Parts: sequence; C-alpha cells; structure tokens
Amino acid sequence: MRNTIVSLLAVLFGLLAGALLMAVTGHNPFEGYRYLFEGGMRDISRFGDTLATATPLIFTGLSVAFAFRTGLFNIGAAGQMLFGGFCATAVGLTLDLSKPLMLVCTVLAGFLGGALWAFIPGLLKAKFNVHEVVSTIMMNWIAYWTIYYMVPAYFKGEYLETESRQLPDFASLKSPFLSEAFGGSYINLGIFLAVLAVIVIAFIINKTTLGYELKAVGFNRHAAEYAGIGVNRGIIVSMLIAGGLAGLGGVAEFTGNASNIQIGKLPTQGFDGIAVALLANNAPLGVLFAAVFFGLLYSGRGFMNAMTDVPPEIADSIIAIIIYFAATSILIERLVRKLLRIRADKREQSAEKGRES
Amino acid sequence: MDYVVEMLNIRKEFPGVVANDDITLCLRRGEIHALLGENGAGKSTLMGMLFGMYEPDRGIIKVRGKETIISNPNVANRLGIGMVHQHFKLVSNFTVTENIILGNESRKGLVIDTETASKRIRSISEQYGLNVDPHAKIEDISVGMQQRVEILKMLYRDAEVLILDEPTAVLTPQEIEELGKVMKNLIDEGKSIILITHKLKEIKAVADRCTVIRRGKTIGTVEVSTTSEADMAEMMVGRQVTFKVSKQAAKPADSVLRIDSLTVKNSKKVLGLKDFNLDVRAGEIVGIAGVEGNGQTELVEAITGLRKAESGSILYDGQNIVNWPIRTRIEKGIGHIPEDRQKRGLVLEYSIEENMILEVYQKRPFSKHGLLNKAAIRAYAKRIIESFDVRSGQGATSVTRSLSGGNQQKAIIGREIEQDPMLLIAVQPTRGLDVGSIEYIHKRLIEQRDKGKAVLLVSLELDEIMNISDRIAVVNNGELIGIVQASETSEHELGLMMAGLRGGEVAQ
Amino acid sequence: MKKTMILLALVAMFGSLLAGCGSANDGGANGGNGGNTGGEAAGFKVGMVTDAGTIDDKSFNQGTWEGIKQAAEEFNLDSKYLKPAGTTEAEYMKEIGNLYDAGFKFIVTPGFKFETSIFQAQDKYEDAKFILIDGFPHNGDFNAVVNDNTVSIFFAEHESGFLAGVATAVELQEGEAGFIGGMEIPAVQKFNWGFQQGLAYANDNLGTNISLKPENVVYEGSFDNSAAGGQLAAQMYDRGVNVIFCAAGGVGIGAISEAKTRVQSGEEVWIVGVDVDQYTDGIYDEESNSSVVLTSAMKKIDQVAYDMIKAELDGEFPGGEILTFDAKNDGVGIPTENPNLSDATVVQVEDVFAQIKSGEIVVAEEQGDFIK
Repeated sequence: MRNTIVSLLAVLFGLLAGALLMAVTGHNPFEGYRYLFEGGMRDISRFGDTLATATPLIFTGLSVAFAFRTGLFNIGAAGQMLFGGFCATAVGLTLDLSKPLMLVCTVLAGFLGGALWAFIPGLLKAKFNVHEVVSTIMMNWIAYWTIYYMVPAYFKGEYLETESRQLPDFASLKSPFLSEAFGGSYINLGIFLAVLAVIVIAFIINKTTLGYELKAVGFNRHAAEYAGIGVNRGIIVSMLIAGGLAGLGGVAEFTGNASNIQIGKLPTQGFDGIAVALLANNAPLGVLFAAVFFGLLYSGRGFMNAMTDVPPEIADSIIAIIIYFAATSILIERLVRKLLRIRADKREQSAEKGRES
Repeated sequence: MDYVVEMLNIRKEFPGVVANDDITLCLRRGEIHALLGENGAGKSTLMGMLFGMYEPDRGIIKVRGKETIISNPNVANRLGIGMVHQHFKLVSNFTVTENIILGNESRKGLVIDTETASKRIRSISEQYGLNVDPHAKIEDISVGMQQRVEILKMLYRDAEVLILDEPTAVLTPQEIEELGKVMKNLIDEGKSIILITHKLKEIKAVADRCTVIRRGKTIGTVEVSTTSEADMAEMMVGRQVTFKVSKQAAKPADSVLRIDSLTVKNSKKVLGLKDFNLDVRAGEIVGIAGVEGNGQTELVEAITGLRKAESGSILYDGQNIVNWPIRTRIEKGIGHIPEDRQKRGLVLEYSIEENMILEVYQKRPFSKHGLLNKAAIRAYAKRIIESFDVRSGQGATSVTRSLSGGNQQKAIIGREIEQDPMLLIAVQPTRGLDVGSIEYIHKRLIEQRDKGKAVLLVSLELDEIMNISDRIAVVNNGELIGIVQASETSEHELGLMMAGLRGGEVAQ
Repeated sequence: MKKTMILLALVAMFGSLLAGCGSANDGGANGGNGGNTGGEAAGFKVGMVTDAGTIDDKSFNQGTWEGIKQAAEEFNLDSKYLKPAGTTEAEYMKEIGNLYDAGFKFIVTPGFKFETSIFQAQDKYEDAKFILIDGFPHNGDFNAVVNDNTVSIFFAEHESGFLAGVATAVELQEGEAGFIGGMEIPAVQKFNWGFQQGLAYANDNLGTNISLKPENVVYEGSFDNSAAGGQLAAQMYDRGVNVIFCAAGGVGIGAISEAKTRVQSGEEVWIVGVDVDQYTDGIYDEESNSSVVLTSAMKKIDQVAYDMIKAELDGEFPGGEILTFDAKNDGVGIPTENPNLSDATVVQVEDVFAQIKSGEIVVAEEQGDFIK
C-alpha cells in the first residue's frame, strides 16, 4: 500500500518535472500532456498500440525485478531479450508447423535463448564470484555481435543485409482477430503471454518453496547457506528465470510487435526494464502497471509531437525525466519520511510551547 | 567538584529511534567511571558523541568546565579525549612505534623520526607500567599487548580522558587482571577513564562510580563500592535477576559427536583449527572456552558444514559427516544457534514466521509439491513465539528486522530447539540478552540436555561456560589445550589454559 | 537500500546516455517547427518520420529535412518531423499515424527500413501522399507495389562514389585510399563499388596512382558508433592510408574528428564525405576555413525532397512511380564548391561527369570483382 503511494507520487513528480521542462522551453504543459495521453489512449487502436509497446517492457521489467528480488542485478535483459528473440525468429524461419504448435516452439525457444544468455553470468557468479553487472553487460554485446553475424549469415532477408527474412504468419504472434478487435492496432498475443508471466512470477515469488529459497538467497545468502539452501544453485536458477523472461520479451518484440529481427540494435527495452522494475518496487503486479505507464508515454509521445510544437528531442527528454523521477521512488520515500518527521517535530515543538505558556 | 567531562541532558535521535534521551554523565578527574547498559541501551551512541563521531541533537558537553562542540574526532583528540575501540585499529605488519605515530609523524628532514618517537613511547610505557616493546611488530604480540598499544597511542597524544569500549571482551582472565592494574596506574597518574561494559564483575573490580543507562535513558549514577552487583543488574535490566543456574548432575550416555584430528582453515586460508579432538555425548553439555578467534568458529562451521574440513573426521551418530551437505546435517538432527544472528541466523527482511521455517520449509506440512502452506507455517511460528516469548509488533507477521536483538535471538533459539536436535550447537546463545532472557535460555539448554540430547556450547563468557557446561574444552590458537570437568575447575585454571598453558588435567 | 541505490545509479547512467542522444539538438528543429505554423497554409502540411539516428545526422535525415524546410519556407507550408522510438515497422506505422491524425498528409520517409510500413500506410491512409527515399513499398516479398499516392525514390550512389573517386585520385595523384562503410546495405555498398571504379578509372585513364588495399575496406556495422569510426580511421592512417571515403553517417563523423586531430599535428590526411556536402564538418581551422574533407559524394536528397513537394503543389505529383536520381538528372554528384580541389581537378571531374551523363562511361552498380 505504502509502496504504491510512493510509486504514484514518483510518477506525479515525474509529470511535474516534465511539465516544468515544457514550460521552460516555451510550450504549454497542459496541451502537451493532453496530447501525450490522448496519443496513447484516444481510441481503441491507440490503446492497443500502448499495450503492445508495453508488452516487451512487462517482460524485461519482470526479468529485472525477479532477479533483484533474489539479490541479483540483471543489467543484461537487453542481450537476453535480443538472443531470445533471435532464437524464436530462427525457429520461426526454420520449422514448418501449424500455428499453435509453432507458437509453443517459438515461445519455448525464446525462453531458452534468454535463459542461456543469463545462465552464463549466473554460472560465473556462482563458480567464480564474477559480478553479474559486469558479466551481463558483456553478454549484451556478445548477443549484439552474435546476432550481427548470425542474421545475415543464416536468415538474411532477400535484399536486405540488416534484417532477417519476414516471419511467416503462422510463426507470428500477430493475430488478425486481435488487431481487428483493436481497430487495426499492432497489439498481438504477446500481451496475454505477458499477463500470464506476471501471474506465474507473482505465484512463484509468493507461494512456492522455490520463491522462498530464492528470496532467502537474495536477502541474505549467509543465512540461506546456514539453512542448507543451495546458494549457487539459487543464483543460477534465478538467472535462468530472469533471462527466460527477458527472452520472452524478445519473442514479444521480434515475433509480435515486429515481424523480423534487425541487426545493429540493442533493444532499449532491456534498460527500460530496470526503470520499470524500480518504479514497480520489484513487485510483479506493479511491473504490469509500470510497464503500461511507460508504454503509454512511448506510445503517446509521437502524437504530442505531431499536435504541438514540442520537438521530438524535447519530447524524448520529457519522457526521460518522467522515467527518471518515476524510477527514483526510493528518494521520494525518503522525502516523505523526512516531511513526516519535520511535521512531527513541529507538532512537538508547538506542544511544548503550549505547555510553557 | 572537579569534572573533566560533563555530558548534560544529551539527546540523540536516529531515523526511527531515540538512541539517547536526556542522558547525563559526569566524569571526575582521576576516576574510573563505568558506563553500564545492555546492548542497544545507547552506550556507544553516547560515547560516539563525546568522541566527535556524531553531534547531539540537544544537551551540552563540557570539557574541563568549558562548553564545547566536538564536531569530529580530531577535535576530541585536541581536547585530550581518546578512545580505544573494541576492534583495534592497528596495522599488523607495522611496529608498535610505527602504529603509534601513524597520522602524527614527526620528521627529521625528509625522514620520519622513529628514534625519538620510540624513546618517548618507551618512557611512557615505563611510566604507566605498560611494558610495551616499541620495536615489536603488531602481528607478533598478543591481543592484550595490542590493546595496550592502543592505550599507549592515546597517551602518546596526551589524552587526559580515555574511553575504553568493552576492553575485556577479547582478553583472558589473566589479561583482564593486568588491564585492571594498568587502569589503576593511569588513574594514579591523573588520567580519567570511562569504561564501557555490561560485565558487572569488572565494574565491581575496578570502577569508582557507575552510570547505568537503559533504553537510552539515565537510570542513575552510583558509587560502586556501596552498590551490589545485583542492584546494578536490576538497574540495568529493570527487574530482579538471579545469576546461578540450578541443574542436576549430567547422565551422559553414548557419544553423539566424535571429532578426530580435525584440521580446518580459517577465512585467511591459514589453519584455524589444528588436529582437534572432541567427544560430545548424549545427555551432556560440553562447553568450549577460549578467547575469541582461537578456532571456535572454524570448529563450529566444520561441524555444521559451512566450512570445509582439511583433514580429520567428524563422526556424528557413528557416521563420518565431513562430506555431507548442510541440509543433510540439519535433517539428521544437528541444530545450530549461530554466532552472528543477523548474518547467519535470520533473513531480516523476512517475517518471523518465514524465518521460523528457514530449515524446514521444504517439508510437510509447511509445503506440499513445492507450494507453501501458510496456515501450517503460521501455526508453527505462533507456537515458537509463545513458548519462547518472542516479542514483536505484529506477532508472526512482523518483519524480523523490526525486532530487538534479544527477541531475534530468542526466535533463533526457539527455532532450533523446536526441531529437537540430537546435537545442538549453541554459539554465544546469550550474547546481548538481558539477564532475564539469559536465565531462560540457560534453562532451556539444560532441559535439552536432560532430555538426553547432546549440547555443544561455545561462549566467550567464562561464567556462562562454567555455569552451564558439564565438561569444558579449552581452545587456544586452534588447538585443544585440555578438557576439564566443570565442577572441578576454577576460573583461574581455565584462564591459564585459555592463555595456552597446558595446566589442566585431561578429565574424561 | 544500498543495492537499490546502485541500481538507481545504473539507470541514471544508461538513462543519461539515452537522454543525451535525444536532446543533443533542438535549435534547427525548433525553427522549422515554429516558423510556419501561423502562415496561410497552402493546402497541405508536410511531415517526415526520421530513420534510425538523429535529425542532425549530417546525412540522410538531415538532408531530407533541410529539403522539406526549404520548401516549407518558400511555399509557406506547415512542416514537422517525428522521431520513432525504434526502427520496427510497428513504430514507423505509429508515427505515420500520428502525423496523419495531426493533419500532415504529405509524408516523407527516408530509408529502406520504411518499405513495409509504407506498403501498409499507402492503403491505410489513401488520402495521404508518401515519398519513400531509398526504397520501394512491398509486403516483405520485394515485389514493388507503388500506389498512386506514393513515390519511390532511388539514387545512383555508385555514380556519386565514382565521381568522388575520380576527384580524389586526380587531386592527390598518388597515394593510398581507404573506405569505411556503415552497415553493409545496398546504398553503402554502391558508394563503395562506385568509389573503387572511380579510382581505377583515374589510374587507367588519367595517369594517377592511387591504391586501395582490401584490408582498408571496412564496414563498421552501424551508423552511429563514432568512436569506432575514429579508431578505424586511426588504424588506416597508421597503415599509410592518405584518404578515407566514409559512407557511414555518425561513424564517419568520428573518422573526420580523427583526421582533424592528425592534420592539426602536421600530418596530411583526407576524408571524402558522403550524402551531403560535409566540408563544414571537416573544418579544423575556422580562420582559414580549412577542412579535412577533400570532397563529398553527394546524393541530393534535399533537392529531391524539395522537388517532390513542389511537384505536389504544381499538381504534378508523380504518384505510382519509382524514380531514380543519377548523373543524368543531376541527382548525384560532388559539391559545386570544392575549396580543397584545384581548378584542374574540378574541370577534370566535370568532364567525367559529362561522360557519365552521356553514357560514355558506365558505372557498374553490382559488386563484380570489387572489394567487399
């Protein structure tokens, strides 16, 4: 409850700061925000786009949050997402199956690809105590260059060097039914997968012995070790799950929102996932809402640009500022606590004065 | 009255806690003034303010009658206030002289003038009867000697007021006695001493006056000579306490734990436990006596599986468990009350109920097919909370971090005893607890013994070891010095053995 | 608590990188946006969606935008560009939709990555007009479908590269050349191959002696890693290369900086720019207006963007066509002003240019035997 309030305050401060930037650069903040939110929600199609934008963020946010709950900083969601997405694309372009079977395969491939990419840092941490921040960042670049080589070499589009062939419809998460229901939006089955992931992860964290073990390792590995919990195993399992989630984010992005994989890009959702997790205070349900909020910002930004004189670069800065503030809920919490104390002090002082007089 | 230091109506608040609330402490010139209080009563905070580590929110500090603001330790040094910390701050591969002049080096041209310094150190050492060799390296001298180096360091900087923070925790009884003499010498030379401690016996032995604080408040300042230990204990805890534990003679049965020439490396990769032998039988309590850091941790961690044994064997119930995983050891009935409750014993972010199942969560009824059963967990936790009187804000669902240290400790002890272990290893089980809780825990340990279980008690408190144990094994420098019957030994004998003298008879 | 702070610091780190990229420029954009909104709109508003990279990328986006701005000013039109969050079809579609919803119904999109988006958009927004530069609309199968509301535009980059190659060879007479490309995409490859042909032509026919070793032909792999561009350039210069042709967007900017540093410390090295006249980017001495950019292999993107807007105003919008801009219609070439080229060289290049126009010289646009 208290965390929710802090997160909401963080969002509010973010919006205020963004408004300030708009005002300082000579734009009307009310107008700006009106179009920003309209752009993300004005009609069912735009709302669908917002959800679609949020989908990979839900996965990467969950990935970071889950790892963090177990005491690990997964900075490598970008690489895991990329590699997971690549594996899914590779399966989609190679196998020839019916759509339901195919989707199971691509989702599985994406999960395993992401998990593999996180397994390596997990193993390094467990065996050699290599800090995962360093190794996951390295893995990001290994993924980047692996995809850079693999896509043109094996899955090259007919004329284009920089992207893979288009996925056939039966390997895509896109669903004509869903798109039509959302007025032609590019929303796809990924959103259902994401909601499912939120539920599963919340369940694992709160209800299972696995979650109990992993959290214990995360909070206090010495105590976990004392209690006979396999700390190294916990680190590896946790990274596998976190990586798998990020990998699913890749599935949602590359076989759902997009229909091929491009080289030369490290998905930004990997890093945004950190901010999502922070705003959500690492709670799975919170991740869902935080990701949709970020999705709304990203999705509505263009409309704000189009309807007002706010140039794209300022719009980017506004979004960045909102995210900044939103992600600094920890500072907000401190501020709240400080304010409460000052108020308490004042009350005390006035009470004292009352007694004196 | 001639006061060197007056701390008047001091208040200090940290986020969420009032550490000191209206505390007054006045130190006379030339006295040893004890500051008595339980762990967490606010002693360290108060001294921290005198030493310039924090500034008080309210109240005034006077030094030699003049009101002063001590904004940092350098100011304190200039005012002639010096502090000997519990953990020494010495560079182990420097000599005594080098350590003492560190940060305060006098130079001769470009060269540090150690010669003059060591001459001065020698003369101070003689003046106060400290008997320190200025050219010895820290790593080569005993802990007691290191402490004197710390004291010398203060004297070298012309400290008038010395604060000694729990100075006896790391010393053998003989060294404690020596320290007492040193303190008397200091007083005779006109210094004043504040002695932070929660050991009543020491206060009785050396102090002139004693200020007792409890939960951040001054309870009173008393003349030590006219106040009994029991009275001071009552002031400290807030109620009457008894010191003696009553127990029947042990009826030891079969061996539960047999350790044979066990060798274990410490965290510095040096042998911390060497060729160690010990036998613990069902129905007895074996105490391990020794000065901190003489192999106790290595021994305990080797038995519980937290540390790898280099060689030797640990027979538990007839089986060599050296290569068993930790969980198997727990499941086979080895309970462990760890030395550091916050590091090892608890997940502070977890609620009490979650901590109560730390070692059994994977078993029924607490979980089934990997799903936790919250109702069973809560019922189990409530039982422990009730029978061990664990006090907290919201009962079983309180976050463990919010509990006081004593209640955290009681929760751990409850958890371990509730599992009814065949072998209970209790390390410093009463550290930081109030006298009442100590009493209760001692009773439970003896109860465990009387039920026919084996108990291995590791403690730095000699009184505790002597009161509770049936047999006492003494360690020094990772080696077993000897085993004595608790009923037949004396503090003096144990003290000599703890210092490494193989005086005691080996009683089996 | 402490862990959270670390995490926060990391976010701040990455975040500031992104924000830094995003807010690097706004002056030009502001002017473009604000300048014409109040005026008498002449019937339509011109919008642009940027490709990967910023509006001030000194090449593709910037060139297109400058053409649009010029037309907007001259004809008193509203103009605006939007920057998509990513480079997927969905994100391009979103920005096109935003422009359309805001009344911008003449939309220019630079880059082959827009091909499938425009394929969809031309059906979805039938009353809007689309200009697709460097690509043609298709449904992922490379079967061009150009509706009546769309014009697809290509450039003969190989001819542009050829001219730059000739200019380089004639000016330097002898030495060693290098090539740094961005991604290995057709437009960049064609610049490369054309440049190689230009050098070879000059060596064979104009008595120059410029060599190009295979190890000095490199595709960096991105259009934005300027640090890597600087390093690649440094390596090449160290290997004895005198002039580097950079067809690499931001990567080329890095190479230009490296060249500036070297020239300032007395070395004699050169860069050949790309897409637009990059002379000003290469200036290392403001007073003497000296630049390390020898010349530039230009695609007159700005001109084309301008022309298309003008055509629409004149009611001559060439809807449904795929247009190619080459030497014949002055769509490619080197800058008109070349302070670093001697008059003789300029004359020589003009002569070659005329021969390409007339078809006497044919520049191949396929790889053939060329390096990479």
